[in-house]
Amino acid sequence: MRKSIIIILLTVAALALPIVDATAATRAATRKVVVSKRFTGSLASVQQWGSLQVTIVVRKTTTISGTKKKVTRHLTAVSVPTYPNHTNRSVYINQTALPILKAEALRAQSANVNMVSGATDSSDAFAQSLQSAILKAKQA
Amino acid sequence: MTVITSGLPGVRRVEQIMGLPVVVDVRDEEEAGAALDKLFDWLRWVDATFSTFKEDSDISRINRGRLRREDAQPQVRQVLEHCELLRHETDGYFDMHTPNGSIDPSGLVKGWSVDRAAAILDDAGLRNYAVNAGGDMRVLGRAVPELAWSVGIQHPLNRQQVAAVIEATDLAIATSGAYSRGDHVWNPHSARAPAGILSVTVVGPELATADAYATAAFAMGPDRAPHWTARLQGYDAMTILADETVFKTGGFPDE
Repeated sequence: MRKSIIIILLTVAALALPIVDATAATRAATRKVVVSKRFTGSLASVQQWGSLQVTIVVRKTTTISGTKKKVTRHLTAVSVPTYPNHTNRSVYINQTALPILKAEALRAQSANVNMVSGATDSSDAFAQSLQSAILKAKQA
Repeated sequence: MTVITSGLPGVRRVEQIMGLPVVVDVRDEEEAGAALDKLFDWLRWVDATFSTFKEDSDISRINRGRLRREDAQPQVRQVLEHCELLRHETDGYFDMHTPNGSIDPSGLVKGWSVDRAAAILDDAGLRNYAVNAGGDMRVLGRAVPELAWSVGIQHPLNRQQVAAVIEATDLAIATSGAYSRGDHVWNPHSARAPAGILSVTVVGPELATADAYATAAFAMGPDRAPHWTARLQGYDAMTILADETVFKTGGFPDE
C-alpha cells in the first residue's frame, strides 16, 4: 500500500519538473547543463497511518548539440520528510523501515557453502494438510 | 539415523523427524555423542507431542476435544500462546487455526524445537555447530577454525545455485518459499497461495520467530512483504519477487 503511494507521488513529482529553457543554451557545438533540484510530492494520506510526503532529488542533464537537445533525468535521492506518526508502531516504521529497504536484481552465484537455506525440504505435511483443508472448506 | 564421517572435525548426524530431514553438524573436537542423542530424543518427543498426524499427540487430542488446552503439557501451552502472539504480530498472516476449526502449530514448532535443540548443544559445552531442519537452521561458532558458517540462500529459479551467501557465527536463518513442492504457504486472508513472490528469508536470534516471520511475510505477498519485513525489530529479511527483484532490509548480513 505504502509502496504504491510512494510511486504515485514520485510520478506526480516527476511530471511537475519544469522544462529547461532550451534557448538559455548558446549555439555552441555541444553543451551540457546539469541541474539537481529537489521536488516535494503532495501530502498523501496513508490508510490508517496518517500522512506521508515524499521528497525527491532529480539530476537533470541537458545536452545541446546544435539545434538538437537531449534531456535525461536521474533520480538521485528519495526521502520522506513527513510520515505517519500517530502510533508508536508508525514512529518505529518511520525511523527504520522507510530508509533501509534495498532493491536489487536477482542473481545466481555458485558458492562453496556449508548449508543451504530454502524451501526445498520444508514440505511440511502441515502445509499439504492445510491446503487440502482449505480446498475442502472452499468446496463446502 | 545416519552418521556421516568425513575429514572434518566433529560429527554429523541426519534423521528424518517431523517429516523433515534434520541435519546436525557439530564441529567441536570434544565428544558430542551424548548431546546428539539428547537432541534427537528431544525432537522425537516434539514430533510425538505436536504432530497432527499422530492420533495420540497432544495437538490431535486437543483437536478431537479429548484434551483441554489448559490441561496440556506446559510446552504445548507455551507454544500455543506463542502462536497467538505471532498471529497478532503478523496481522493474522501467521495463523495456526485451520479453516475446519482445528489448530496446527507446526509452523512454529519446527523453529521452536530447533532453538531448544541448539540450547541442548550449548548446555553440553559445544560452541561450533549447525542444526538444520529442512532448510531452516541455527548456526553457532565456526565451521572450521578460520571460517564462519557459510549459508547459501537457495536461488528460487535455479536450484543448483544460491541467490545470496551469509557468513554467520550466531544466527537463525529461515526461508519460506513456493518453489520446491508446489505452493505450500497460504494467505489465510484469501485462502490462496500468494502470487508474485518466490521466497522470503528471515534471519535473527531465534529460529521460531524467524520462521514464523518468513511464513507470514511470504503469505502477505509481493506488495506487503518487503515493507513489513523492513520494520521487524532484531530481524532482517530478503524477499525475492517473481519479477526477479530482490528486496533486502538494511541489516541483511550477506556479503
